[in-house]
Amino acid sequence: MFDYTVITNNIGLLWQGLLMTLYFTVITIGAGMLIGLFIGLIQLSTFKPLVILGQIYVEFFRNIPLLVTLLWVYYAFPIFAGINVTKFWAGFIGLSCYVGSFYAEILRAGVQSVDPGQIDAATAIGMSYGQRMRRIILPQAFRKMIPPLAGQSIIQMKNTTLLSMITVPDLLYQASYISSFTYRPMEVYTAVGVIFLIILVPLTLLSRKLEKSGASAR
Amino acid sequence: MSTIQTNNAVPDKSGKPVLRLDRICLKFGDKRVLNGIDLSVVEGEVVVLIGASGSGKTSLLRCINLLNVPSSGSIVIDEETLFDRQVDGKGAQIPVPEVNRIRSKTGMVFQQFNLFPHMTALENVMEGPVIVKREPKEQARQKALQLLDLMGLAQHVEKYPRQLSGGQQQRVAIARAMAMQPKVMLFDEPTSALDPELVGEVMKAMVELAKSGMTMVIVTHELGFAFEVADRVVFLDQGLVAEQGPPARILLHPEHPRLKTFVGRFHESADLLRPFLEAREAGKTC
Repeated sequence: MFDYTVITNNIGLLWQGLLMTLYFTVITIGAGMLIGLFIGLIQLSTFKPLVILGQIYVEFFRNIPLLVTLLWVYYAFPIFAGINVTKFWAGFIGLSCYVGSFYAEILRAGVQSVDPGQIDAATAIGMSYGQRMRRIILPQAFRKMIPPLAGQSIIQMKNTTLLSMITVPDLLYQASYISSFTYRPMEVYTAVGVIFLIILVPLTLLSRKLEKSGASAR
Repeated sequence: MSTIQTNNAVPDKSGKPVLRLDRICLKFGDKRVLNGIDLSVVEGEVVVLIGASGSGKTSLLRCINLLNVPSSGSIVIDEETLFDRQVDGKGAQIPVPEVNRIRSKTGMVFQQFNLFPHMTALENVMEGPVIVKREPKEQARQKALQLLDLMGLAQHVEKYPRQLSGGQQQRVAIARAMAMQPKVMLFDEPTSALDPELVGEVMKAMVELAKSGMTMVIVTHELGFAFEVADRVVFLDQGLVAEQGPPARILLHPEHPRLKTFVGRFHESADLLRPFLEAREAGKTC
């Protein structure tokens, strides 16, 4: 029933697609973390307007479907801004802003879950806001943030498949391309699913292990 | 270390004021917690704050290093103004770095210890001197080891807080506060979260500190400790100083009606125990 030659004959295209997927996963997670750190810290400040600004950002990107964000950045944004945005930049911006909003929430929740007594103790020995954050709060918060960060990053890798909608040649784009001339979508999409499983299952297990060692370090 | 090295010197208790609070008011939302408290503490003095729960004693202690920011009043520590705001909102604006610097002249010990869980006992004690005072690591390390040794924790310096008992954790917390060479130590119910058998070791450490001439402000329910160690007992009621004086007078001959009730309750529980104790002394226990 399955014709495996469809896969083996087009392994080169799938490989290229996979590299593109991994590339976007890594760079958007990296940029998303920077955005998340920035927006998260803004949300944790005591200056009300900044807090609200951070909340607006988070709610905006968290509540618009990622596909809409991507299509909007690629098709609508260039018209409004009057500039040319390549599909790579559109994909990068859309995916990074999206995952950044989730990371920001994870950071905020992680920091706020640290015992307030820790802030008291750090303040009492004369630490400044920056010293408290850097030395006391963030190291404790990061340990609690490992599981949700890992979870969100795994979702992010799967979300990169939406890039195919703005014609970035990722794994899913290549799959639909292959099935368009082989007429064997079943084999091709199964292969894509298996590739994601092979990459993500070990990462999930790794994050579980990190979670455990993080818990025992407390 | 200077505070420790004066070990056998008799503290001069008529010295200069280390801490001066003037008309401290504190509100949480609409709730008035402190209603204009004046308190002056001189060098080497041990002041114990007592009062029913909700009387504002912990809130007052937390005002001293601005963990609670008063709505008005002024705070002077070691002749430097930490906080100054009049009722009409006017007053000196102290820049944040200055606040942090002056605040580090106080050391605080908390009911829940609040040690940094991701650091060893030694690192906990070194953290302030290295990060805040920017002392060289090796020097801070030697000083921290000495302090932990004084607290009887020489074998535990490399342990993490979760590996220590409550009493040991609290002694690390005392060492951590002492490492900043504070002018005054603030204790917020330091033995309330401890198992009864661990209370003694923490109290012993505090008595040693008091003997060394450290200025201390202590919130506690241990009236026996107040009786033995305090130079002055301050009774707070409804956010005001209701009565203060030497421990013998305050605890044995209270005048304020609420203080009478408050102290009476402790005497009552002591009275309840008396028959049992007397019976045991007479060898009649089973």
